[in-house]
Amino acid sequence: MIETKLGDFEEVILLIVGILGEQAYALNIADEFEAQTKRAVSIGAVHSTLTRLADKGFLESKMGEASAERGGRRKRIYEITAAGQRALENSRDFKVSLWNQFPAFADKLNFSF
Amino acid sequence: MQSPPQLAQKFINWFLKEELAEEVLGDLEEKYYRKLKETSVTKAKLNYWFQVLNYLRPFALKKYRSNSNNFIMINNYYKVAWRHIAKEKFYSFINISGLAVGIASCIFIAFYVLNELSYDQYHENLDRTYRVLQGFKANEDLDTPPVPEEYRFWGNAPIGPALKEEIPEIEHFCRFTPGHSKLIKVNDELYNEDGVVFGDSTAFKVFSWKVIAGNPDLALTEPNSIVLTESQAKKYFGNEDAMGKIVTYNQTVECKVTAIMEDVPLNSQFRFDAIISMKTFYNERPAIFDSWGYVDFYNYITLKENTTIEAIKPRITDVVEKYTADWEQSKFYADVEPMDGSYLNSVAKRQAGKMGSISNLIIFSIIGAFILIIACINFINLSTARSLERAKEIGIRKVVGARQFSLVNQFLSEFFLLSLFAGVLAIAIVIVLAPNFFGLTGVEITSTDIFNIEFALTFVSGIAIIGLLAGFYPAFLLSKFQPSKVLKGNFKTGSSGVILRKGLVTFQFILTIALIIGTTTIYNQLKFLQNHDLGFSKEQVLVMEFGFDTQVQLNIEALKNEFGNDPDVTEVSASRAVPGNFLPNAGTLIENKAGEMEPHSPTIYEIDPDFIPFYDIKMLSGRPFSYDYYSDSTEALMINMAAVKLWGYTDPEEVIGKKFSQWGKEGKVIGVVDDFNYKSLHSEVEPLSLRYEPFSMAKFSLKINTDDVFQTIQRLESKWKTLIPQRPFTYYFLDDNFDQQYRADNQFAQLFASFAILAIIIAFLGLFGLTTYTTTQRIKEIGIRKVLGASVQSIVLLLSKDLFKLLVIAFLIASPLAWFAMNKWLAGFAYQTSINAGIFIIAAIAISVIAFGTMSWQSVKAALQNPTNSLKNE
Repeated sequence: MIETKLGDFEEVILLIVGILGEQAYALNIADEFEAQTKRAVSIGAVHSTLTRLADKGFLESKMGEASAERGGRRKRIYEITAAGQRALENSRDFKVSLWNQFPAFADKLNFSF
Repeated sequence: MQSPPQLAQKFINWFLKEELAEEVLGDLEEKYYRKLKETSVTKAKLNYWFQVLNYLRPFALKKYRSNSNNFIMINNYYKVAWRHIAKEKFYSFINISGLAVGIASCIFIAFYVLNELSYDQYHENLDRTYRVLQGFKANEDLDTPPVPEEYRFWGNAPIGPALKEEIPEIEHFCRFTPGHSKLIKVNDELYNEDGVVFGDSTAFKVFSWKVIAGNPDLALTEPNSIVLTESQAKKYFGNEDAMGKIVTYNQTVECKVTAIMEDVPLNSQFRFDAIISMKTFYNERPAIFDSWGYVDFYNYITLKENTTIEAIKPRITDVVEKYTADWEQSKFYADVEPMDGSYLNSVAKRQAGKMGSISNLIIFSIIGAFILIIACINFINLSTARSLERAKEIGIRKVVGARQFSLVNQFLSEFFLLSLFAGVLAIAIVIVLAPNFFGLTGVEITSTDIFNIEFALTFVSGIAIIGLLAGFYPAFLLSKFQPSKVLKGNFKTGSSGVILRKGLVTFQFILTIALIIGTTTIYNQLKFLQNHDLGFSKEQVLVMEFGFDTQVQLNIEALKNEFGNDPDVTEVSASRAVPGNFLPNAGTLIENKAGEMEPHSPTIYEIDPDFIPFYDIKMLSGRPFSYDYYSDSTEALMINMAAVKLWGYTDPEEVIGKKFSQWGKEGKVIGVVDDFNYKSLHSEVEPLSLRYEPFSMAKFSLKINTDDVFQTIQRLESKWKTLIPQRPFTYYFLDDNFDQQYRADNQFAQLFASFAILAIIIAFLGLFGLTTYTTTQRIKEIGIRKVLGASVQSIVLLLSKDLFKLLVIAFLIASPLAWFAMNKWLAGFAYQTSINAGIFIIAAIAISVIAFGTMSWQSVKAALQNPTNSLKNE
């Protein structure tokens, strides 16, 4: 059975795929991750996660166009599926609910989306 | 423009799934060119490699599908090997655990040996640094220079500067004083320190001790500076910053902390807790820095690079001759020896710290080899004995086309697997027992020692060698079986294997018996040393130190009285040293038979008249010092029997009344004491002179008679605090202190015994496995014998008879070998126990009990069994 929970790192990667849109391929995702989190990551690690997310059905991919700086090779563009979208929403709602139960913040924070 | 590293590309193409190749290589290349814009080519290439290595993940790897025969066969070997190991749990356990304990012992021994070899190796200038040795040549054979054993690594102050001045190849000299007990005061707290030394400002140029705070080049250049080690700084100042703080030496000399250094590593021969600058000492006693006769320094020199010691050695005597005005008279010699290896190799009489022993290292390495051999023999014995079980498998393999070579391969890979298990288990044992090992040897094994590349490489190659060693013969034996014979069903293991097994078991017995004899002899010798009559009494003696305090020396008799008033104290004596301490030597002239004043330098004891009766030292002639003769403190000398002989007398009466001259005193010899062992029994009692010198005292000896030592000490302490407030109260018991001289011996004995016991256990584990196997083989025979009327005893006898023969042979071979080896070991002691028949009887009984115990476990069980059980199913 394929695990359908969303890990922390997976969640971030999934979101970045969403942010990057048409430019979401492994290298760009890794660079964006480094830029946003200031944490170093290897392309291999990201690629591995992307593959896993695709196995879980949260991502779809197709081959994109080639360019010169890639030695004429094509890239694989990733895209969030409906299931992926749902997983992200579930994860967010779960955390918001936890935040709301946290007494120190329950009344002071007002999340609105 | 630079393209990505080709090798990395080849590498990733090799392991990456083909369907991923396009996108991944594309990404990597794009990343590479992005990097190139930001940084250098090298960094971009490094990053490329980094990214490639990070693709070594399961999802990206090619599925390894090989149809090659080799691959399938190797897989099969391991599968069969694993099944075999799992099926025969008992024998696998014996094989693996025996080998594991053997490997673990070897790892421990290797760490011990490497640690001993690592002494002082961390100094960067080690290859250019030499130790200056000094020796005097008294009277006889004035023209032959001293032999190495007559030198001391202990010399005077001016020789270092003189050598540097005269020999331009010398870059630095560095002197240290030994850490005699020093009074240190910090923040009104008093400490009696044995680890505070004086040292030259070149200390950090010659030696590679790391300075944590302060400037190493300047720290010791000024007078009244002190460098503390990290733990000493912590002891004095806790967590405060110690830099710039004041440490008071000798009540009045205020020293500023100018640097903090790391603790001197444990694998250093010369260790200390703090260095006070040599100039401080110079200000205190300037005269000794010109005196070639005052000896109390450890001298080191460092040569300039690209110079050799050979060029310098011959010139040293010239320098010494030039500087010592009356060289012809004093015959003072100096020599140098490399600091590298001096911990193990130096034979000089006095050293700056503890010494290692090459022979111990050799002994332990041999034991390590013994243990490994014993474990490998177990392996060979069990595998060959049980070859019958594999015979069918081998037959089938051969019939379907396996060649001998591939069968050898199969068995070897099986044995590698076993030794790999054993190795992993061994590492677990090492990790678990590391604290015990530390307690025994002081050698620390940390996880970084084990989990590093060097260890891993040694370990893997070690495992391979062991697998080969243990598996080579069985592999060849097994692979030689002829399939037609084996598969017909009436195959029995060949007799060649039996002879070999007997030979190997005998060999194991030989090693085991030798180890038992060795262990017993070592313990006998230690007991002998500790019970040997020392010639003085050391029981119930408490020693209190006041470290040459002038206040105390001035009131010495009154203070002795005060302490003697304590109800539990029966006797009190004061002296400069007590037995077990190191003593200075004194140039001494005594009138010889021919009436000439003859010079020698015996060691010197400075005592009071109570000392001789206090320590029960036997007088051979004359009288001891007495308070009744006023002149005893100025014109009298006592010597021991060894000194009597040194000056050419045979009868102690003859020397009484002869003239002497020593350290500014002149007068007559008044008494001769018997040779008491004032140092350890490793060496013969050396010539000794004793004088009464109230102003050289440093210690009180108190004889205590009490059931509650703790209370007595508390009372003495409070008395001390009122009488001698300027000194800390430091005390020890003489017998504890004296026995510390045997600590290295005890450590050696414990280590030896531990490893010997391990070796014996492994050997008998193997014997146990082997007898279990052979007994089960003969179970039907036993059944038939019982049916025909054999008694249990006769069957046990039958099964043990062979073993008994082997034991006798092993004993006959082992005894003379062990006797020879232990005699050599004992030769290192001046006082030796004899190797008597008792030791051999003990060894014979011990080995028989263990061997027959192991054996009878199985044979009695087999003999008691109801024959119907073994015979009913045929």
